[in-house]
Amino acid sequence: MENQRDPSGKTPGQGPLLSLINKIKALVKTIFSSSFKIGLVYFAAGLVPALIIGWLFFPALLYSKQTQPMNFNHALHMDPEIVSEIQGDTETERCLYCHSFRNDGTFTGIPEIGVCSECHKDDDFPLGESEEEELLINEYVTNKREIPWLSYSRQPDCVYFSHIAHIELGKLECTTCHGNRGKNQVLPAYEKNRISGYSRNIWGKKISGLKKDTWDSMKMDDCAACHKEKGHEENNACFTCHK
Amino acid sequence: MGSDKKKFTELLSVNRRNFIKFAIGGAVGTGLSPLPWKLIDDTAIFTQNLPWVPVPETGKFTKVRSHCTLCPGACGIEVRKVGDRAVKIEGRTDHPVNPGGLCPLGMGGLQLLYNENIRCKSPLKRVGSRSTGEFEPLSWDEALRALTHQILELRSNGKAGSIVAIDGYNSGSTVSLMIKRFMKAIGSNNYIRLPSMEGETAAVSKLMYGSDTPVAYDLENSDFILSFGCGLLEGWGAPGRLLNTWGLWRSAENRENATIYQVEPRASNTASKADKWIPARPGTETALALGIANVIIRENLYNKTYVENCTAGFFEHEAEGIKQRGFRDIIVENYNPDRVSEITGIGPDMIISTARAFAGAKTPIAICGKGKGTLNGDINEFMAVHALNALTGNINRPGGVLIGARPPLSELPAPEVDEIASESLKKPGLTLGNAVLKEYSSQTSAIAESILKGDGQEVDTLLVFSSNPAFTIPDGGDFYQSLAKIPFIVSFSPYLDETAMMADLILPDHTYLEKIDDMECPSLQYSFYGMTQPAVAPLYDTRNTGDVIIRLAEMIGGTTANSFPFKTLEEAIKSRVQGLFDCKEGSGKYNPSDTPSKFISAGTGVTPDFKDFKGMWKQLKNGGFWYNPLSHIKNNADIFNAPESKFEFMSSRLKSLIEASTAKPASDTLEEPLYMPHFRGSEKSDEGYPLMMIPYEMINLSSGWLPNPPYLNKSLFDSQLKGDDSFVEINPETALAYKLKEGDKIQVTSAKGSASVRVHLFDGAMPGVVFMPMGFGHMAYDDFSFGKGCNPNRLMGANIDPLSGQPAWWYTPVKISKAI
Amino acid sequence: MEKREGHDNKYGMVIDLDKCTGCGTCMVACAAENNVTVRADESDKERSIAWMQLYKIDNGRPFPDTEVCYFPRPCMHCDEDGRGGHHSPCVSVCVATATELDPHTGIVSQIYARCIGCRYCQAACPYHARYFNWWDGYSSFKPFSKGMERSLSPEVSPRMRGVIEKCTFCHHRLMRAKTKAYAENRRDLREYEYITACTEACPARAITFGDLNNPDHMVSRLIKNKNTFRLLEKLNTQPKVYYISSKEWVRKLADNYLPDQIKPVSGNDI
Repeated sequence: MENQRDPSGKTPGQGPLLSLINKIKALVKTIFSSSFKIGLVYFAAGLVPALIIGWLFFPALLYSKQTQPMNFNHALHMDPEIVSEIQGDTETERCLYCHSFRNDGTFTGIPEIGVCSECHKDDDFPLGESEEEELLINEYVTNKREIPWLSYSRQPDCVYFSHIAHIELGKLECTTCHGNRGKNQVLPAYEKNRISGYSRNIWGKKISGLKKDTWDSMKMDDCAACHKEKGHEENNACFTCHK
Repeated sequence: MGSDKKKFTELLSVNRRNFIKFAIGGAVGTGLSPLPWKLIDDTAIFTQNLPWVPVPETGKFTKVRSHCTLCPGACGIEVRKVGDRAVKIEGRTDHPVNPGGLCPLGMGGLQLLYNENIRCKSPLKRVGSRSTGEFEPLSWDEALRALTHQILELRSNGKAGSIVAIDGYNSGSTVSLMIKRFMKAIGSNNYIRLPSMEGETAAVSKLMYGSDTPVAYDLENSDFILSFGCGLLEGWGAPGRLLNTWGLWRSAENRENATIYQVEPRASNTASKADKWIPARPGTETALALGIANVIIRENLYNKTYVENCTAGFFEHEAEGIKQRGFRDIIVENYNPDRVSEITGIGPDMIISTARAFAGAKTPIAICGKGKGTLNGDINEFMAVHALNALTGNINRPGGVLIGARPPLSELPAPEVDEIASESLKKPGLTLGNAVLKEYSSQTSAIAESILKGDGQEVDTLLVFSSNPAFTIPDGGDFYQSLAKIPFIVSFSPYLDETAMMADLILPDHTYLEKIDDMECPSLQYSFYGMTQPAVAPLYDTRNTGDVIIRLAEMIGGTTANSFPFKTLEEAIKSRVQGLFDCKEGSGKYNPSDTPSKFISAGTGVTPDFKDFKGMWKQLKNGGFWYNPLSHIKNNADIFNAPESKFEFMSSRLKSLIEASTAKPASDTLEEPLYMPHFRGSEKSDEGYPLMMIPYEMINLSSGWLPNPPYLNKSLFDSQLKGDDSFVEINPETALAYKLKEGDKIQVTSAKGSASVRVHLFDGAMPGVVFMPMGFGHMAYDDFSFGKGCNPNRLMGANIDPLSGQPAWWYTPVKISKAI
Repeated sequence: MEKREGHDNKYGMVIDLDKCTGCGTCMVACAAENNVTVRADESDKERSIAWMQLYKIDNGRPFPDTEVCYFPRPCMHCDEDGRGGHHSPCVSVCVATATELDPHTGIVSQIYARCIGCRYCQAACPYHARYFNWWDGYSSFKPFSKGMERSLSPEVSPRMRGVIEKCTFCHHRLMRAKTKAYAENRRDLREYEYITACTEACPARAITFGDLNNPDHMVSRLIKNKNTFRLLEKLNTQPKVYYISSKEWVRKLADNYLPDQIKPVSGNDI
């Protein structure tokens, strides 16, 4: 067969369709040829570990895991039937009970120990039976020590973010950016990027960076896209969010 | 099987092609994984947030109200804090002294708190030789025991008088009273305050006005200010007040404009911004003032009613049976404009026009106290200037010279003195050899005189409080040299300053932002009392000196301990404040539309607004203040306690002081009595020193004991400091005579010392004068201050002021030569 | 949410040189407010950073007719010339979009995280208002400024080496004021609610800050003063910083004194 070919590679007397079929046949044959198979094995030997490293080992290596100083049961505290002080029709209002705004409009973020001790004040009469509460009262409330929480959502120093502008003016829900944190019973481990120093929540839990829910990542592109979507493109001026 | 085996061996043979395939596979796999993309992103982010660049922690923003005690000005400050950290100092808008603004030093104060390299972090004991800065930390207990032991031993040897204290705290502060009381209780007369214009102002108030409290000026209500070298914009008096008032004077919307004439040899900020700059030759200001008086008298421009009714010594009069010529005749005879013009270099026309403008103004004030007023003044000049005020009669009136009143604080119980102390107190304290006015002038220079000349009293232990005399005394370095001969030096400075570096023991105070303290401000036209509160918790193992003094007294025991019936400084302050409440006057609130000067021009007092003592104490303790506009301005007789309650052109008090003095200053040729303002001219011949060196102060350069906060260094021009060289300002004409050009290095030499500086050519500098900035040349502190520039104090002090015996720093003959 | 039309602000500053005493408090307040770094040798003016810089000028006359005047110089926040022509000099040359003119505030921004440190803008700025960080300012490698990082404000990002920085009209104070207004259920700021640190600190009250677009604001009234001028007006950079001086020689030195330029700047000219 090899000899029948002319220099142009075409088989004499045959149409273009047939020539294509022949080509495919030749390709298939090559693929199933032993040398190609061996090549494929080598290719795969490079590809698969690389994929495994990239998708599994790399994220595990990139992020350091730290556990919070103690657990906090958000779900429990958000339930008005259990914690009667926490009122509010919407989830956001209930969040704001502890994560409140100060008089000057700044956001308190993670509450200081004083907020906890408003309710958990008496070590003789704990409100619940958990070991966490015991730890809270004995270790922190009594000593007036702040709990060294690790913040999942802290933006880097170059970012200025006004919570009040988004909550009071933009009428966004807390969940839009923070997801269903309020439903968690256990605080997840805090993951810190070893290179950039960011919390993993900024990039998103998904290593692919792909986004399904609005809270999947909190990068500049996410902010900008949302501003654009809501018709506030003027807020994409650099100085609005950078300091 | 054979074929399989072959395949297998083929598989194992990693040839070039297979390796490339493997690599491509790896590359594709990597590319399809997030690894490269995430790495690039993270690396980019890394470069935007380098981990060693600090990220300031955020939190709740709060404000702590307090007072600035970096100078005697008593400006109100508000310390902005985030969590526990202070991040900014701002001026208080609800404060009578400085409604809103602040001077640059006050603004940069946080760098005096947080700069670790200049702070003393715990009590220190010297281990190396002096000034090398080799110290060893020790506990407060050990340190206090060491000092107690020293004092007890000196007392038991009858040498309590050889313990000397130099006090730089605010003159009305409780801690200052504590030091004074402590010295008395242990039996030493040597409580010494640093030289400042406060002393001469007090002296002139006593000698001419007969007042025990210093005079104050109602500048805000004045329409004409004749300033004899006062650095109104360089930090004179209360800088926050002056700068704020200046803005009011110069605002287009405001009609409170005042005309300002500045007498100064250099185009300083004040001189440039004044309506008229009168560059009289340095040291001839007295002659100029008397020349102006001459014109006012000859042209009959003086306030006759006032002069006739409220003054003494103006006309011919009889004193002790002898006919005595009056101020009028002597001035008319000796200070005609032509002669004064010759002395001062100011044209007769200018002298006449200035006199007419001054006397013609509604509320003219003549003021004195050169530069910031942090150094002693020329008592003769002060007297001449106040004679001008008496001529216009603008005294005890809104917009005039007012007799100050100290806040009516309760007296502390008198200190107890035991036998040792009372024996020791019989010996007089250190006194400058020929000082007539020892009561009013600082005797700091007596320490050096006594030690270096070796004929004076012994100085065994020197306690230095809130000051750095080794750097600030304008005596050509005499004090610094004498330190080496003092056996035991204790510094209470929160900073490792020049004096602390010479100390054997350092008991560090808190900085002004870490402690409770109080102050008066006598230069204001209202009595004022303010308190500081800690803006931040003490950073290091330091203690409030007030508390340390009480503890020391307790450890010494006996009557010394009895003299301190309080546990803490706070307790002592509280007992003094009771008097403020009991007087049922004064206010602790300030409304920007009701400034104290408005109350004065209206002639009404403020409505007392303290209801109970508890509330008052709470308000004061939180950095509050008490003020009361001088309400007695209608009653001359109450004020003038001089004979017949009159202003004395010829001071009877000074006369008796001169007569009592053993070392009488030589009389001069003009047949003027020494107890009236007169111009003497320079005594010494200036041969070999053809030029004159005048130090000048800047508001953005700390000239006292504090180092310049680095932020202030930014605001210095590179024609003032370049690298380690400071500049002197020289007129281009003078420079030409010496063939000097901009930036040339020269050697400035006086009889006292020599300094290497660079030349800055400045048209605003008087020809024949070398102007050297004050505040450079620290030989202590950190990289921001150490070794930068020259300290003019090291050249000064060749001349002595005849009345006070202090260095006449305003007059230093020098020569210059090009450095090779 | 409704889009607010015609509410755009144009923040500007008027500095009264007759009131300015040259004390330098503005410089210190600016540095303290904005975490400006310090170096051991601040006299090296090519390396020293000062967003607000005080210049000293004199009338050049010999003694004793010499007069001195001080010029506080923040960033001029140059604008478009309004005729579709040129832009703020720095913005038009930035290759990294690290600096831009915000049409809603008139403030020229500087984003450190974005800046690549090419220093093109520094060369382009006719006012020398831009500064380059040759070294890290506050960092663990700087023993001479030990402890001073404790006074850093969290409202302004400390800069790293290799980036340009400049006066931002204390943009964080605008954010601070807005946040406060939002907490009080307001959207618009009152006059003086947002002022720069230098404005607040000036003890002589020589600096006035406000919205040039708002005719009720003091700045809009002050710029109608016949003695008002801007620096290097002939370059047509449209600075938003105005000066007032009653002294002719001062106005002359500001380069506003070409024969056809002796005219007060009116609000229409902005």
